[in-house]
Amino acid sequence: MTQTILLVDDDPDVLTLNMTVVEENGYIPILAENGEKGLEMAKTEHPDLIILDILMPRQSGIKMYRAIKLDETLKNIPVIILSGIAQQSFQKSQETLAGFSGSPVPEPEAYLEKPVSPAELGSTIRRIIGPAKNE
Amino acid sequence: MGIEKLLFVTRFEDLSFDDLKPLLELRKAGLNHIIFLNVIESEKVRLQRGVGFKKAEAVRLKEIANVRFIDWAETLFEQGLEVGVYIVVGNVVEQVVKAAKNEEANLIVMGHKTKTRLQELYTGVDISEILERTHIPVLIHKEPPAPLRTDMHPFQRPLLATAWTPASLHAVEFLKPAGPVIEEIHILHVADKDALNGDSAMVVQETRKVTRKKLDEICTQFTSMGVSARGHVHIGDSLREIEQAAQEHHASMVVLGMSRRAGWQERWMGSIPKTLMDRLSIPVLIVPADEKPEKL
Repeated sequence: MTQTILLVDDDPDVLTLNMTVVEENGYIPILAENGEKGLEMAKTEHPDLIILDILMPRQSGIKMYRAIKLDETLKNIPVIILSGIAQQSFQKSQETLAGFSGSPVPEPEAYLEKPVSPAELGSTIRRIIGPAKNE
Repeated sequence: MGIEKLLFVTRFEDLSFDDLKPLLELRKAGLNHIIFLNVIESEKVRLQRGVGFKKAEAVRLKEIANVRFIDWAETLFEQGLEVGVYIVVGNVVEQVVKAAKNEEANLIVMGHKTKTRLQELYTGVDISEILERTHIPVLIHKEPPAPLRTDMHPFQRPLLATAWTPASLHAVEFLKPAGPVIEEIHILHVADKDALNGDSAMVVQETRKVTRKKLDEICTQFTSMGVSARGHVHIGDSLREIEQAAQEHHASMVVLGMSRRAGWQERWMGSIPKTLMDRLSIPVLIVPADEKPEKL
């Protein structure tokens, strides 16, 4: 079955670009405009991969990432963080939140700082979930 | 409901990250989410005859704002706070209302620049319209900001001016969850001297006694939470007395309730909050009555 990829970003231009990369590589994209909707879709759609922005309205990617990795049914879904926020800040924030709650989360499968080329994004996706499986 | 989510509206030249830092003290009172909003006014990218829509300019301005917000957001994320951003083109009031409602913010923070009446009419942001449409308290910072006092945050020594209106009473309720960060609160009622009919000392004393009792009841609500609270009765012109009390008690901000009727009658221009903003160097927090906001 063809893999589905959940794209979470509040910027419509970025979402369109990423959707094109995903489709051109043979996967099925599903879209969400913020972390809150992204989490809902992750629960209902169980995608094979999530490409997640950080700085978004309603709920940030930091919070959504924690929610995924602390949820028994979602924690095995690989995540690519694709954001303008530095990886070091992401890691520090996760460490701080883990300190508050006592629940550490693993690092994401990949961290890409914007902007990234379509080729780089495509190769990162293939490295994590393999080539598209045709139905 | 405490102050968990704060909407920080900035054009960068009016409010900077340094203006936000003292408000982070509210984390002790439950603050955990900061939303940044930058509105690029339509005029800056407007369609003009012979020029067309300045899409490239809009993209450029958005990216400049985005770079600044990323820098701020990284600092806040690292402290364990939740952060969100809106960078939009449009009318300031419309976009503030939209973002505040979408995020269900508990407090809006904005800048205020002293302007002439004419400037206000054409370029001013109508705070009363934001209050009317969102029913969310608005904390207004003076622009340019007063010199930063790192030892004082706005909620440290508030002066609450009450007129016993529903909005004033809502202001009391709004401040209570901030108790953990309030060092001392001063609660002031200004009685109108013209309303004191009769010329005997008894009338004035009676007014003071009744008012004092009501103030004591509010003070007790704060002292029972461990917050030092003092009531004050003044008689005279509201504006002058509030200004004087703020200085006398070294207030960190002035808190006012703004009723719907007063808000729409006075609008922002010519209102007590606006005049106070023009005269004082400390922020003014305006709290609307506890009513349901309009639907989007």
